[in-house]
Amino acid sequence: MIGRIWAIALNTFREAARIRVLYGIIVLVVGANLLSIVLGEMATHEEARVARDVGLTGMSLFGSLTAIFLGVFLLYTEVQRRTIHAIVSKPIERWEFVVGKYLGMALVLSVLVAMFGIAMTGVLAIQGVAISAAVLKAVVLAWFEVLTVAAIAIFFSSFSTPFMSGIFALAMWVIGRLTPDVEAAARTASPWIRTLTRVTLEIVPDLHLFAISGRTLDGEHVSVHGEFVSWGYVGLSGLHGLGWIAGLLAIAALLFHRRDFV
Amino acid sequence: MPDLAIDVVDLKKTYRTPFTRRKVEALRGVTFQVERGHIFGFVGPNGAGKTTAIRTLMGLIRPTSGSATILGQKIPSRAARFKVGFLPESPYFYDYLTVSELLDLAGRLFGVPAALRKKRADELIERVGLDRARSQSLKKYSKGMLQRAGLAQALMNDPELVVLDEPMSGLDPIGRKEVRELILSLRDAGKTVFFSTHILSDVEAMTDRVAIIARGQLQDQGKPSQLVQQTILGTDVMIRIAEDADVAALTEAGERVRRRDDELSLTLPADADVDAWIAKAHAAGGKIVQITPRHETLEDLFLRRVEAAS
Repeated sequence: MIGRIWAIALNTFREAARIRVLYGIIVLVVGANLLSIVLGEMATHEEARVARDVGLTGMSLFGSLTAIFLGVFLLYTEVQRRTIHAIVSKPIERWEFVVGKYLGMALVLSVLVAMFGIAMTGVLAIQGVAISAAVLKAVVLAWFEVLTVAAIAIFFSSFSTPFMSGIFALAMWVIGRLTPDVEAAARTASPWIRTLTRVTLEIVPDLHLFAISGRTLDGEHVSVHGEFVSWGYVGLSGLHGLGWIAGLLAIAALLFHRRDFV
Repeated sequence: MPDLAIDVVDLKKTYRTPFTRRKVEALRGVTFQVERGHIFGFVGPNGAGKTTAIRTLMGLIRPTSGSATILGQKIPSRAARFKVGFLPESPYFYDYLTVSELLDLAGRLFGVPAALRKKRADELIERVGLDRARSQSLKKYSKGMLQRAGLAQALMNDPELVVLDEPMSGLDPIGRKEVRELILSLRDAGKTVFFSTHILSDVEAMTDRVAIIARGQLQDQGKPSQLVQQTILGTDVMIRIAEDADVAALTEAGERVRRRDDELSLTLPADADVDAWIAKAHAAGGKIVQITPRHETLEDLFLRRVEAAS
């Protein structure tokens, strides 16, 4: 089982590594990190803050967008191009194929997040700022977010077209990121809007948990530039993400299991 | 009861079109058996249901009703797929891989150990004639080369049963001959080969049994020699005769009359007096080039069955 999943994951990594758009995204994020040096110069004594903000935002934003892009295309194109025929006719379970696809994507996204992290660390080093535990925790949280978003995209891709999957996954990412703001806005709305909001937020992963910097946690303001969350919080958030990933992949595998490949 | 590699009983598959939800019956109760160690030809016109039947057997499509077993295991069976090699129709592979990488991937999915994977891949690449193209990505392969790569990946697990959907498609005459030889060598090695094709001469030359499918239903099945009628359907004659000679008396009883330069060819009906016709041809100054009694071919049978179905 492990061997088959690993074979699919490795092949997916190879496939994704050939997508030129990814290299464009890397150039864009590294460029943004370098630009933060200039922006930092303009904001006196705030060089490190700007570098951290630009680095972490780039990681979360472009990491999640890449996760959506890969998630909606990589599974769909297997069916569309019929490459899947020569694969699922071999002794591999369909759920193993879905998990292998996800792990391959997760590997690519992990490399991307690592590259974005290295770019940010490099810029901070240029400014003579050592990487703090808070930044490291924020990077790990961003990584969890990207991996969760990839599972959302794969889930939609298991039954929908790339366009529709992209729209759904993007909407989930935005809502998931803004959960506290959506909740606050709904408090003053009509009862049925409040119910609709509550139901919607129940079926959307709490992605804001991974972008906690600048928000209030247990009555305390947390920031990557000052007092940040504990490693315990990071671990729990990771488990939360893992729960969503497992659930979404399980449903995706179930839907995929029922499909005819004509 | 013969030892069966494939046993299909009343297999049905009905699709619904995406928007209109109209029912399309791709398979309408197909039943056939393939004995172990046989080469079985599955023939039918485009849209007959060949590929649907094969994809159902390989677990790509779920049947609406009916049952099928492969190597004694009910489909879809992962255990059976360990022993089956499959070449899909117009195979699509990851075009960024080389043939070695494709075979390595196939071997991994079959759980072939690493050392054996490498050895078997090297042997198969040579066997299908892709040795010189082994470092090229599949993107640069011609259709025929892809077909060969597809055959190689279907044999990576040293299968007991090989299922080939249109294996001759895209191949030139040399490639077709090589695939024919490969299929025969698989049978010689004790394997069962089930393949679909449009090329009836291949079926006639190679198969132990054949099934004809049209409009989702099996029209006939059996040994090719038993299926075709052994009675003489007519006599094909060819004579050489002067271009300006009057041949009206010779052609009046014939069918499929063709005259080119000094050659005249036609088919005499089964009940024609061939000796009398030959005498008439001699009298008109003709020289006999060829006289061949015409038996029914698999192509005749195929056309007859398909026409009957439609």
